[in-house]
Formats: sequence, structure tokens, C-alpha cells
Amino acid sequence: MTGSRLRAPAGADSTTTTRSARSRARVGADIALVVIGLCFMAPLLWLLLAAVDPQAGYQTTVPSTPSTDNFRAVLTPELLFRPLANSFLLSAGTAVVNVLVAVLAAYPLSRYQSRFNKPFMYTVLFGTSLPVTAIMVPVYGLFVQLQLLDSMAATIFFMATTTLPMAIWMTKNFMDSVPLELEEAAWMDGASNMAALRTVVLPLMRQGLGVVFIFVFIQAWGNFFVPFILLLSPSKQPAAVSIFSFFGQHGAIAYGQLAAFSILYSVPVLVLYAVVSRGMGNSFALSGAMKG
Amino acid sequence: MRRPVKNVAVRFSAIVSVVALLVAVTSCSPTPEATQSKTLKIVYQKTDSFTALDAVMQDAKKEFEAANSGVTVDLQPIQANDDDYGTKLSLAQRSADTAPDVFYEDTFKVRSDVDAGYLLKLDSYLEKWDDWSAFNEAAKAAGRADDGGIYAVPLGTDTRAIWYNKAVLQKAGVSLPWQPKTWDDILTTARAIKASDPNVIPFNMYAGKGTGEGTVMQSFYELLYGTDSTLYDEKEKKWVVGSLGFTDSLAFLKTLYDEKLAVSPAEALDANVWKKVFGEWFPQGKLAATVEGSYTPSFWQKGGAYEWPGYEQDMAVAMFPTQKGQEPGGVSMSGGWTLAVGAKSKNPELAFQFLTTALNKKNALAYDINNSQIAVRTDVASEPQYLAANPFVKDVSDLVKVTHYRPATADYPRISSAVQVATEAVITGKQSPEDAAAEYDATVRKLVGEDKVLEK
Amino acid sequence: MTIRRSLRLLPVVPSILLLLLFLLAPVVWSFYASFTDASLSGKAARDPQWVGADNYVRMFSDDSFPLAAWLTVVFVAASAVLGQNVLGLLIALLMTRSRRAVSSLVGTAVVAAWVLPEIVAAFAAYAYFNRDGTLNQLLGVVGGQGPDWLYSFPMVAIVLANTWRGTAFSMLVYRAALADVPRDISEAALVDGAKGWQRLTYITLPLIRSSIATNLMLITLQTLAVFTLIWVMTAGGPANASTTLPVLAYQEAFKFGDIGYGTAVASVLILLGMVFGAVYVRLLREQRP
Repeated sequence: MTGSRLRAPAGADSTTTTRSARSRARVGADIALVVIGLCFMAPLLWLLLAAVDPQAGYQTTVPSTPSTDNFRAVLTPELLFRPLANSFLLSAGTAVVNVLVAVLAAYPLSRYQSRFNKPFMYTVLFGTSLPVTAIMVPVYGLFVQLQLLDSMAATIFFMATTTLPMAIWMTKNFMDSVPLELEEAAWMDGASNMAALRTVVLPLMRQGLGVVFIFVFIQAWGNFFVPFILLLSPSKQPAAVSIFSFFGQHGAIAYGQLAAFSILYSVPVLVLYAVVSRGMGNSFALSGAMKG
Repeated sequence: MRRPVKNVAVRFSAIVSVVALLVAVTSCSPTPEATQSKTLKIVYQKTDSFTALDAVMQDAKKEFEAANSGVTVDLQPIQANDDDYGTKLSLAQRSADTAPDVFYEDTFKVRSDVDAGYLLKLDSYLEKWDDWSAFNEAAKAAGRADDGGIYAVPLGTDTRAIWYNKAVLQKAGVSLPWQPKTWDDILTTARAIKASDPNVIPFNMYAGKGTGEGTVMQSFYELLYGTDSTLYDEKEKKWVVGSLGFTDSLAFLKTLYDEKLAVSPAEALDANVWKKVFGEWFPQGKLAATVEGSYTPSFWQKGGAYEWPGYEQDMAVAMFPTQKGQEPGGVSMSGGWTLAVGAKSKNPELAFQFLTTALNKKNALAYDINNSQIAVRTDVASEPQYLAANPFVKDVSDLVKVTHYRPATADYPRISSAVQVATEAVITGKQSPEDAAAEYDATVRKLVGEDKVLEK
Repeated sequence: MTIRRSLRLLPVVPSILLLLLFLLAPVVWSFYASFTDASLSGKAARDPQWVGADNYVRMFSDDSFPLAAWLTVVFVAASAVLGQNVLGLLIALLMTRSRRAVSSLVGTAVVAAWVLPEIVAAFAAYAYFNRDGTLNQLLGVVGGQGPDWLYSFPMVAIVLANTWRGTAFSMLVYRAALADVPRDISEAALVDGAKGWQRLTYITLPLIRSSIATNLMLITLQTLAVFTLIWVMTAGGPANASTTLPVLAYQEAFKFGDIGYGTAVASVLILLGMVFGAVYVRLLREQRP
């Protein structure tokens, strides 16, 4: 860092000035942050209050007769459980494919020097910048041609591909941080590359893989547009899509149920995010993943 | 780096198997349905306010499976509004694997989907179906395509009329029964209602893209077809542009919205506004009158989405007038939905049989009553049970005399959308009626080409 | 030797296959289909014809495309470059000098909007900006009479909503970047009597400029692709006043069944993405020689 040369001699006087200035700055910063935080909370407040208000409208009000009616109304197999199970299948499938393919791809990229590595990594990076909504029209056309429409498996592979560039990038960075010496020791003992990968490298980057898995899972869980276009049978619709048709149909009336549904659908990803951020520190491994 | 050679082989095989798996799963993932026992896939629409068809399909499934052992009927109700249902259906039809065997199809899409090769020609099947003779002539024509063949069988039909709340009109001092003779009559009454109670919506007519096909069927076409102009010249097979009637119709909507005789433009653009019409405003006496379909009682009758005991006493029907009272004195629009067999069906014979089961007298009767449809089977139309289904059956059936049908051409859906855009521009104040009409003309010319438009 | 070398790269094959099949093929197909009249219904559905550049000609003679392109630029500039980026940086800066409890609590609030499934966030924003919604309630408290945001100011509503939803990303990036800035630098400047503003522009920002560049590229690309938020809140209305390119592509292709024209719009969007993507890759390469 070039900046460290700027270090100033710290005298006793200046420390006092610094401290009082700092505490003044701190109060100001606290107040500003609280105001911003409240602004960010405001739209969510409606969701929380409407969910327990059987008479909910678009107004944010404390319910006069709070109840769990809304939750009970949406807790049905057709409305909630099957879509959630579909969401889970799609997200978990997408995450598994991602981790599997990304680990395979990241291994040679991380372990061998090759002229192929750099162009590949930059191509992958380039892939992260494709606007997925823009390719949905052609992807629909492709799915028709290949007769993959309304197939869960194909949708999983497609969704996995859209997050794959990011997953490869993250996985390679995590793998780079596992020291090569440990593997070399395993090779000495006669282990194959794949065996070394499985027994030495993967356990050491378990946490990183968890991050990739959850990162992909959360993205897939919230994805609305892809299943909306590619899955047609009502029995295969994930929650993101069923909540949309629910809204379209009940929109004028059942605000409370919509809010309750939204909350139940959001809880799993909120929990997963909490798990990751606790394990990895608040920056969600972003610095490692994004800065490259 | 030292690496044992044998591992290359192991690694290779491991990887190849993964790749093979990937390819295998991606290429044959549409789960191959057991072809031994035959399955028919039935696609139709079901919403919280439209379950009548679902009920019929459930019954038909039971009947059909009992009569045809070894055949499974796979019912796939799509939960979506009309627009999204149309999109989902077209999305599914392009691929043989996802195309349904029997499906619910709007009459105005029939020709365009026949052109696309989605619908099976039914003539040879209909010959052998005795009940076909029970369908009235208009109904038979609803499924006819440009080649003269029949591709779809209607479930029922509908007409459109003014529905008004008698109590609200009475309070405003309007003498009942109310039957406006001209557009001006409507405005006069609406202004009177507004003057007597500013909180009441006097006369609503849909506009904008939010209500989709409802905007044209339950609003704009009632106006346009009541002028001296029209949308499409059936003889010349050309689209009409530059007509005074089109501008006048837009101007009428503008008057309604500008004088706040209709709902606010923001409410009008909400795709769910019609639910408020049926579910809140009419029953609560907040709306005096609107243009809606003959199926209106299906929402209010027992078991409907917005049950309203006593609607029979409060509500009444009036014919929508022509612009200046010219002949024939009134306007109505008819549409309706059909059942059709997919051209890609592997079991066309069975699929057609299912269609006849769903449309037999018993099921058609149940559907027409529950969904307040105008019967297209003459034997259903004469059933006392049908005639007594609601007090308005006769009123709305009489409107068949003055009714119009949409041009059933392949490019119709886009023209309809251009009309909706014009109404939206006018009621939101973005364009004057003249400018919006001019832009509509330009859009039509672009869509169908110079040689298919007519200045009138 | 070369054989063994290339065999080493074999595990990369599955990822290449997937990327070719599901990312490259659609892009190629998109450019191809944009020169045809492929359609969901009508004769063209059975037998699409090559129509040359007709779709592109129409695009520029149509009023809706230039409008959508302009609205997309406004949406990206206002909600990503200005909204998310500046607000994210501001929050991250404030966090460096606030109490730990405050910053973690506020951080949670900001991140919550980002982690929520996009459709839920869209519903919440829809309710918030509704005529009877929370925003107008708040304005009512301070004596204001709020408009119907989604109808009268749809762009303002979706820009604010996207800022609300996406700021967390920029905040996280900048927090990580600021954590690398040695604390004594800013303190030293404080001692020298430098004003906060000067410290920011002359010391802090230059130090994290690579993070800023990267962040700007990423959020621009993400915002370019936003569909669900707009679709749920305004569906592109009223009268196309909030129809951005992804919404236009969807409407043309699936609502009107004009796949050819829809893919032409999508192709333009893909090209835009490619340009930004190329710049982004370039930036990263410069950072790590």
C-alpha cells in the first residue's frame, strides 16, 4: 500500500483532538445511519404488519385484530408446500450442479499453469456480464428446438449455467488459497489427482464451497423469470411463480395473505444468508469473489 | 511435479462419466411418460373467480376414464389471467412435447393458431358426432378457419350490455328502467348521478392495456361499432383507418375520464380493476353502471367468486346505444371460448372423444349455468333449468340480434393491442383523440401493410 | 506430453459444454432469430421467413424502442450509478466511524432488501409506492399530499425501488474496500486539519478507485437486466412510461408473440451487456497485471 507512507507522527495533543473529533463524528455517523436504516426498513414494515392483519390493505397500520389467519389460509399443499418443494428442488439442484462443475473446472485452472487458463477465466468473467433477462427469449426458442420445455432438469442446468461463471470464479479463488504442498504430499503417497482433490483440497475449502452453494441457492430461490418462461405445468411451478399468479388473481383483495405467503417464502433464504454471513464475516466473501 | 500415469485413465473415466451424465440429463430430460397406458393432456384456465370450467373438466375426466380404461386424463389448469393464459398456451404449443391434446382456446385466436399449425382439423371427426347437429349455426362458424374447415368447438358464447345498479340510479332521480338511446343520453345520466352524489362512479368503461381484451370487448368496440364506422371491412378484408367513428369513440372515453364519470385513470390501468367492479363497487353501491359481459351473474350467484345475495333485485341490464341512435339502435359484442384438439396430439381420436365428453349436454348445461354463458347447443338453450339460471338470461340472449364479432384474422391480436394503446394514451391525457387515432392508423399500416387498409 | 497436458484440462469440459449450450447458443440463436419473422402464432410460427434487417429497421422507426432505450439509460444511471453506488459508498463510509452495534443493525436492514427473493421485494415496493401505501402515509404525517407514484411518476418509483433493493451490494463491496484502507491515513489527514470532504476526495476515493470501477460495472450490468421489479410494479406502464429494454423484449416476444422482433430488442441488450462486460474485464486485467 502506497498510503502507509503518509503516517504522521502522533503526539499526545493530537491524540486528544483526534478522540474528541472522532466521537463527534461518531454521533453524526450513527444518526445518519439510523435514518438510512429506517428508510430501508419502511417498505418491509408493511409486509410484516399486513401478514398478521386479516383486514390488510396497502396501508401500513398496526392490525386491530392481529391473527394468524393469513398464514393459515396459505398453508395449503397446492398454494404453498408444493411450490416451495419445487423451489427447493430447483435451487438445490442448481447449487449442486454448480458446485460440482465449478470444482472440476477450478481444479486444473488453479493447479496447472497453462496458456489456456487466462483466456478461459476472462471469458468466464465476461459470461457473468450477460444480462440473463435478455437471453430468455432466445433460450425459450432453444428449449423448444431441443424439446426441453417444461423440464425441471433442463431448467436446473440452465439456471446453473447462468450462475456458473460466478461460481467458477469464486471456487477458483477459494482453491488458490489451499496450499499446494498438502496435495503434493498426497501424490507422494500415490493418490491420484482426483483423490487428492477429494480427500485433501475439498475438505480444506469446505467453507468456501458452502459459500458458493448458498450463494447459488439464494439466487436460484429468488429467480422468477427463468421458471416463469421455461416451466409450464402448474405442478412444476416454484414459489416465485405461484406467488405471482396468486397475486394476479387475488391481487385486489388478499393483501394479508400475499404478505404472509411472501414471508414464508423468504424465510429460508434469510436464514441461509445469516448462516453464511456469520461464518464468513459480514462482507459475504465478496471481496474475494468480486475483486478477483 | 510427479504424477502416476495410471491415474490419468481413472481420472479420464470419472470425468467422461460426469460429462455423459450431463449430456444425458440435458438431452432427454422431458420425463418420458409411459406410452403404454395412454395419457391425454388437457390445458385450460382456472382462477379464483373462474372455476366453472375446472368443475366441468373434473367431471369429464371421471366420465371419460370410466368409459376408457387404460387412458389417463392429465388435467393441467393454468392459473393466470386471460392474457397470461394466452401466452402460456402459445409457449406450450410450439413444442410437440409440451403441446396439449385438448385445450381451452379463445375464439379470436383460432385462426391465427390454425395458421401456426397448432389446431387439428375436426371436420372428419365432427361428421361422426351426433351432437354436432345440436349446435347453432353461429357456434359452428366460431371454430371455422380460412380454409373453411372447423378447428374448434365453442363452449358457450356471450354478449355485452350495460349493467346498472337500480338503487343508485333511483337515488339520483333517474327513472327506471333506464335505456339510453344515444351516447349523449349516457353522459346526461352520468352527470346527473355525479351531481347527486360525487362519491359514486357514474359510468365506467374500461380503457388501457391493463384490462387487455376487456378494454376492447367491454368498452371500445361498443362505441366504435355504434358509429357509422367499423374496425375491419369483412367484404374487402381490409382494416379501416382514418375513420371519424374511431376518433369519436376515443373522444367519448376522454369525456368520461376527464369529467371523472369513470374511475380514475390510475385505477383503470390496474389489470385487476374488473375485480373491484364485481367484488366491491357494484355490491357496495359505489358504481352506478358499466359495460360488462353476459357472464356477469356468474360472479354474484351462489358459489360465485363474489357472492351477492339479492343482486337479482338490485341490478338491471340495458342495451348499449348507438352513437346517435342510428339503426339498429343498439350494440353488443360476442366472443366466447372453445375447446380444440392439438395438431401434435399423438391420440387425436381419443382427444376428440374427450372433447365430446366435456361438451356433452350434461356438462355443457352445467357449464353454461355456472359460468352464465349463453348456450350454443339448442338442446341446452331450451332447458328450463338453463332459462331459470338467472333473471337476465333472456335480456342478454336477445342481444344476439345486435351483436358483432371480432375480426378473426391472424393479425387481430396486435390490432387489438394497438387499440388498447390508443385508449390508454387518451385517458391518461398523453394524446388527444385525434393524435391517438392517427398513431393507431400508422401502427395498423405498419402491421398489415398499405394494401390491407382502407380509408373510410 | 502435450496429450497429457490437455488431458489435465479435461475437468473443465463439463463447464465449457454448459456454457456453450446454455449461454453461447442462445446468444447466437438470438442474433439469428432477430433476422427472421419467427412468431408464437400465425403462419410465421410454422414457417419463419428470413426478413433481413426488417426488425432492426422497424426498431428505429418505432416510437417505443427509442423510448425504451432512453428509459433504460435513465434507469441505470439514476438507480445504479447514482443511487446504489453513491448511497452504498456513503453507508460504508459512515460505518467506518459509527458504533459497531449501529452499523451491524443498519447493515442488516440494508442487506435484507437485497437477500429477499426479487418478487417479494417487488411486491413490497409495489405496496410501498401505492397510492394508499406507506410512502404516502409518511408524507401525510409531515403534511404532504403524495401523488399516485406508480401512475404519475413510475420512473421515480422504480428507480427508488431498485436503489433500495440493490444498495446492499455496493455497500458490501465498499466496506470490504475501506477495510483495506489503513486507518492512520485518514486520521493523519484529520490531524492536518483536512476537511472531511477533502479527505474523501484526495485520499480515500483514490485508494479504492479500483473497487469503485469494478462495482460500477457490476451494478450497471445487473441493473440493465432488471425485469421482475418493473414487471410487478408497473408492468412497463402507464403508456410505456416505464418500459425498459428487457420489458419491451418480453412484451414483444411473449405478449404479442413476435419472437423475431423480441429477439432483435434482446440482441441489442446483449450487445450492450457485451460492451460493458468487455470494459469490466479490461478494468480487472489492468488491476492484476
